Amino acid sequence: MDIRVLQAADIPHVQSTNITNLPENYYLKYYLYHALSWPQLSFVAVDVSRPKRTPYDPPKIVGYVLAKMEEEPENGIQHGHITSLSVMRTHRRLGLAEKLMRQSQRAMVETFGAQYVSLHVRLSNTAALHLYKNTLGFEREKVEPSYYADGEDAHSMKMDLSFIRAQVDGEAGDEGDEVGDMGKKEDTEAVPDKAKGKKRRVKMGRTLGVGDLVERNESKT
Amino acid sequence: MSQQQQMQLGSKERSLFKQVVEHYEAKHFKKGIKFANQILTKNPNHGDTQAMKALIMNAQGNVEEAFVLCKAALKNAMKSHVCWHVYGVLWRCVKNYEEASKAYKFALKLEPESQQILRDLAILQMQMRDYEGYIKSRRMILQSSGPRGKNSNSRQNWTGLAVAQHLAGDLYDAERTLTTFEETLRNPPSKSDNEHSEAVLYKNTIIAEMGETERALDHLEAVFKNNLDRTAVMEMRAKYLLQLGRHQEAEKAYRALLERNADYRAYYDGLREALQLGTSDTESLKTLYDDWAKKSPRSDTPRRVPLDFLEGEEFRKAADQYLQQMLHKGVPSTFANIKALYSNSAKRDTIQELAESYLNGTHAPLMNGSSEKHTTGEEDSAPEKSPFDMAVLYFLAQHYNYHRSQNLAKAMELIDRAIAAQPDEVNFHMTRARIWKHRGNSRKASENMEKARSLDEKDRYINTKAAKYQLRNNENEAAIANMGKFTRKEAVGGPLGDLIEMQCMWYITEDGESYLRQGRLGLALKRFTCVYDIFDTWQEDQFDFHTFSLRKGQIRAYIDLVKWQDHLREHPFYSRAAICAVQIYVRLFDDPQLRDESLNGLNGSLDKMSPSEAKKAQKKARKAREKQEQADFEKADAKKTAGAGVDGESKKEDKDPKGAKLVGTAEPLVEAMKFLSPLLEFSPGNIAAQQVGFEVFLRRKKYIPALRCLSAARSIDSAHPRNHEQAIRLRRTLSTLAEALPPKISEALEAEFSPLVSPDADLLEVNSGFLSENSNSAAHVQASLCARQVIDPQTADDNQKDVIRTLALPSVSLEDAIRGLDLLKNWKAQSKYQEDYVAAAHERWPEATEFSSKQD
Repeated sequence: MDIRVLQAADIPHVQSTNITNLPENYYLKYYLYHALSWPQLSFVAVDVSRPKRTPYDPPKIVGYVLAKMEEEPENGIQHGHITSLSVMRTHRRLGLAEKLMRQSQRAMVETFGAQYVSLHVRLSNTAALHLYKNTLGFEREKVEPSYYADGEDAHSMKMDLSFIRAQVDGEAGDEGDEVGDMGKKEDTEAVPDKAKGKKRRVKMGRTLGVGDLVERNESKT
Repeated sequence: MSQQQQMQLGSKERSLFKQVVEHYEAKHFKKGIKFANQILTKNPNHGDTQAMKALIMNAQGNVEEAFVLCKAALKNAMKSHVCWHVYGVLWRCVKNYEEASKAYKFALKLEPESQQILRDLAILQMQMRDYEGYIKSRRMILQSSGPRGKNSNSRQNWTGLAVAQHLAGDLYDAERTLTTFEETLRNPPSKSDNEHSEAVLYKNTIIAEMGETERALDHLEAVFKNNLDRTAVMEMRAKYLLQLGRHQEAEKAYRALLERNADYRAYYDGLREALQLGTSDTESLKTLYDDWAKKSPRSDTPRRVPLDFLEGEEFRKAADQYLQQMLHKGVPSTFANIKALYSNSAKRDTIQELAESYLNGTHAPLMNGSSEKHTTGEEDSAPEKSPFDMAVLYFLAQHYNYHRSQNLAKAMELIDRAIAAQPDEVNFHMTRARIWKHRGNSRKASENMEKARSLDEKDRYINTKAAKYQLRNNENEAAIANMGKFTRKEAVGGPLGDLIEMQCMWYITEDGESYLRQGRLGLALKRFTCVYDIFDTWQEDQFDFHTFSLRKGQIRAYIDLVKWQDHLREHPFYSRAAICAVQIYVRLFDDPQLRDESLNGLNGSLDKMSPSEAKKAQKKARKAREKQEQADFEKADAKKTAGAGVDGESKKEDKDPKGAKLVGTAEPLVEAMKFLSPLLEFSPGNIAAQQVGFEVFLRRKKYIPALRCLSAARSIDSAHPRNHEQAIRLRRTLSTLAEALPPKISEALEAEFSPLVSPDADLLEVNSGFLSENSNSAAHVQASLCARQVIDPQTADDNQKDVIRTLALPSVSLEDAIRGLDLLKNWKAQSKYQEDYVAAAHERWPEATEFSSKQD
């Protein structure tokens, strides 16, 4: 089972995996929105053991994590969010969910400077709760009443990622030694990370497409 | 507004017009219309106002009225860029990109400075893959000034031009464009500037694409340390080093990648190449993977991959260890993960021996593997069986259910033992259902899967499986009821509406195939058309990203999207539905009677009636259909008014829920082409696509394309039985044409076709030669019988009898047998032959639902 970053061509089967396993489903465009906004954050587990039968065989996706960065973080603290995570029943007990999550979390820190990651999980989903809490180390923040469409409450959970930051910084040092002195001249004055461009309000739900988050195209002036 | 248009309005109207625009942009459509109407009462022929009103009406879903009004607007204001711009938008919305682009270009001529029109045109060109036009537009955008000053100050406009050049294949220009912008940057971008970080990697991929790997590597090294996409830079660097033959560095680079992720085969492949290990050097390879297995105790890959290349005793040892470990852990995917090895029969047999020894307890337990925790995830496991024993039973049941190692009786016995010990294990019942499926008993398969579902009602996966098996057993209502347990309650159109909205391809396709099996062609076409439409939506989905991605700056991901979209319809989701749809249209062409029959479940029964009875039945059926249609329309109308939302926006109502219109088409072959063209364009290597292509072209009297399909099919699989049948039918058709083909066409055709089947050949002789050469293969015999039926219809009776005989062939499969029955039905064979056939098949496959009488 390969664990690798999600590509556009994976999306139809990621969508299939999602609707096979979970009640919260999305249009293809919503997956595209993730893949084209934070392409480093979403990962797939792919069964690569079987040989291709036709030239058009799509990758056999058996699990995925769909992740994003919060677009308008409170207090400006960068953090990631898990939109959806699932593994086929037939491929459980391989630790795939954990591996997917760990890859995504590291990318959140490395690429977007995330300080923590958040997610929602159904109160009744004890297996997922166990994974998040015991295996990965998420903490329960609060209960969000009637978070799901069917009225069920959600645990809102959070996990601090500063330990990854420490790891990453350590690794970067090692690599620097290995590959010589490159990169040195890049270190110029530290420009503060000021807000680049204006942030836009983005509403993404099941019923909204990217059309709602891009600027109007047909405005007349 | 153009000046001339402004002149026509008083100052009050002018401000009203502004508000119309504002309301449109804020999506206050009702207010927009109201203000537009106010202007129009005073100035009924004011073009720009009419155009704006049309734009709003279009947004409300009144597309046709919008077009009428916009055309009127154009008549009143031929020289207004607003009118032409709106006209373009309307065409764009109905996806007529050619017309839209013409209109935009006209608008642009009238108002060359308009950024908005220019951008709309550019996006459209990108969507149409008109790269030359796109480069031109992007260059114009870059050179002009927008609302925020000079466009050339903004990165995204430069990136836009570079993307255009890159996609057009001008790699050199694309790189230069990106460099030009970099040189304008006065201050080095901040370390956390994602847009810059990404732009640099985008440029790097362009350099690499030019084949200048050395330069790409140098360029990458310069940014390596600070780039924000760690995985990408590390992967790119490793790849370049390997390509440049710098093996030691490449080795280090791949090891560093594996440290991050030991579950990616591509990294191991890279490392292996860097170490210059040949595939035959199994000893070193094994050591390599073993090292990583030790380092990453939770990774499957380094444990599983060696099973691919090890042989003989080495394989046995490794497989033994792997299987015992996995079975002790109770990993349910163990069989799924291992079955690919079965294409090697020696490995298959070894695995069978090993698993049997686990079952009998004659194996040597692992030294350290058995210290793994014994868990299966089920708290209430039966006391007499250990979790390991249960995992072994489960594994072996799947093993004997698999086609390369099949022994269904054994599989059933094993799974029943497992169920006796653990009656509530969902996976066991799931496998039991699969065994019934392989026995051909779709009813029992469905029942067993439903049983599995009932054991874990909160799990959507098993719910999905249950619904799928119900569809395979043609229980469409039960299936949708099950699916409805997880769809949104508020969805328009109920559970099916939700599944369609959520683009649930598998369900829509399986539902369609189920209706096809039942002869309900209207509903079947309805579903396959739905799949077609979802692909249209997916293609349209990229539209917004042409601007979105330039703003977000994730350019490599965008290029990945564009390239994927370029061959979107090669996806099996498309080809599977399209092939079925084309087959239906061919049947409708051959037998127009099916239109009425298929809607009312009369399939086949007409033939058994006397002519006058049949006529009556048909008339009754048509009446019933018309009445049903009327009722459906009324229902749809009622819903439409009820479902109208804010601002009068309404969800499009389905006016043909049963596909009556689809199945009633007067031109089935034209409709077939809609599905067929993308099929042949994007999946030319799919033999079934070529075969249905042949059928359509033969009927459309397009003999050269028909031959092209036949030749393509032959090159995909030269031994496929339908090649022969189609070749014979093509020759037969050509030699019985009422009017000779034009010499040019005939020559071109014969140059390729004569060597296959000569024009002078005695077709009956060719056919019987084929039959005697392939008399042991049911599929080939069927093909030759089909051919004989066409060459000499007098043989009908013999053909029907001979199909029955194929059931006695030792190698005949259940699939063959089902195809044979379809053949008899298509020929409208005598009912006594059909009954004989079913009886004989029932004897051979007593469990198969297809051949069981309806009563049991």
